[in-house]
Amino acid sequence: MKTLFAFTKKEFFEVRRTGKLLIIMLLFLIFGIMNPATAKIMPVIMDMLAESMTESGVVIKDIEVNAMTSWAQFFKNISTILIIFILLFSDVFTKEYKTGTLQLVLTKGLARHKVVIAKTLSILSFWTIGYIFSFSVTYGYNEYFWDNSIMNNLFSSVVLWWLFGVCVISLIIFFSSFLQNNIAVLLSTGGVIILMYLLNVISKLKPYIPVKLININPLLASTEEIDAYTKAIIVTIIFSIVCIASSIPILNKRQF
Amino acid sequence: MNMLTIKNLKKSFGSKEVLCGLNLSIPKNSIFGFVGKNGAGKTTTMKIILGLIKADSGTLYVMDKEVVFGQPNINRYIGYLPDVPEFYPYMTAKEYLKFCGEISGMDKKDVSARSNELLELVGLANEHSRIKGFSRGMKQRLGIAQALLNRPKLLICDEPTSALDPIGRKEILDILVTLKKQTTVLFSTHILSDVERICTDVAFLNNGKIAIQGTVTELQNKRDSNEFIIETERKEDLNNLIGAFNNLNLTDKNSLIFNGTEHEFFSFINYIADKKISVQKIERIEPTLESLFIEVTT
Repeated sequence: MKTLFAFTKKEFFEVRRTGKLLIIMLLFLIFGIMNPATAKIMPVIMDMLAESMTESGVVIKDIEVNAMTSWAQFFKNISTILIIFILLFSDVFTKEYKTGTLQLVLTKGLARHKVVIAKTLSILSFWTIGYIFSFSVTYGYNEYFWDNSIMNNLFSSVVLWWLFGVCVISLIIFFSSFLQNNIAVLLSTGGVIILMYLLNVISKLKPYIPVKLININPLLASTEEIDAYTKAIIVTIIFSIVCIASSIPILNKRQF
Repeated sequence: MNMLTIKNLKKSFGSKEVLCGLNLSIPKNSIFGFVGKNGAGKTTTMKIILGLIKADSGTLYVMDKEVVFGQPNINRYIGYLPDVPEFYPYMTAKEYLKFCGEISGMDKKDVSARSNELLELVGLANEHSRIKGFSRGMKQRLGIAQALLNRPKLLICDEPTSALDPIGRKEILDILVTLKKQTTVLFSTHILSDVERICTDVAFLNNGKIAIQGTVTELQNKRDSNEFIIETERKEDLNNLIGAFNNLNLTDKNSLIFNGTEHEFFSFINYIADKKISVQKIERIEPTLESLFIEVTT
């Protein structure tokens, strides 16, 4: 336990020392501010465009901007943020393989499963902290400018998106246990997500596929309730646990 | 007592057989030179001892305890210095040692005291910058410090001097010599002068097997040297001698190498005396590990 704590501590220390922490926090902060800001300037942009649009036959009437506009931006942009986050953390294992830093750590008797656990814990922590941070910033501005209470299922939607992030992170960990470089890890993870979208076409499978979690428009519009997501939630949780758990025996067999 | 015993160790990578039935025993408190050509399997053997890679077959015992792949508990008796040690570049030397102490489960106070002592030993006590800016030699010295942190019974060094300049090399060798009383050192290299300088025992690895093993003195004496180097005053005498004896070889430096029995050598001396050939030098060639190494590996 003590050694697990020590290695986890190192992971957090690394993110702080290498400046990654600053980048993540700035990223999530900018993202958090951008959503209400975009909503706020949208009428101004529309006004500017109105004239030329009228010429081409499109008439723009007064646009109503509210918390919904800002949250729509949140759910639209979060995928970009997840991709940047994954890019930043895709090399947590592979960098250590390449440089040989992990090799030296293992020769000191650190059990390999602790490496997986420590790295998983740290990435999940940063994803969770950053996500909550962004959410709080957007929530705060929205509350100040408009009214968050008009939103339906806001918290459930936010949690669903977070859970999808966890699923992608578990894929990164799984592929890192046996692949040698982070490009391969990223491509494989991307491949699995694309496969999920492809399977999503089959209507019978639709309720079970993790990508269901990020299709939150029906939930926000109240055309669907959270019950409709239960199957996908269960599948995603099991899938993530299986990914992380199976990376332990794979890493145990890995030759350094 | 042996610190390390390896029996019939085999390992292949794909179709390439790197180790084919390696047997090795390393006596306690020895500085053991593990010599082989590049790619002979030295690093592979070491990595198997450390549990980093899995052997295809064979058994290993460290302090009479069997080494099992995937069970790293034996590693607390072992310190390892890789050929090119890599550390977390954002840490300072002291922070790295603290981290090493923590992951090997050492007592906090002990780690702090031991770190200071070792940084002093390797000459990094006043180095407060991050490892990122360290030179190769500094990294090698930090490598020794981290390897010795938990007072290992066996220190494994993989070519610790190969990449260093003469001064850096001397420093590392000097440190290794001081360790003799505290620990057993397994030291792989292809620099034979390093072995002659500090090792008590040596083994030559060739074609995945130990070609020869023993104490350094034993091996040096193993070869009864019947080789002499002869230089004459006049160059034409050399050709004269070559014509008369068939166990002479001309070297590129206008000298001859005689290789034969004692009896043959006496008749050779007689011939020189009879023909009144003026000799500049006759010298017995000292047996070296190098000549032995070349003999067993070619």
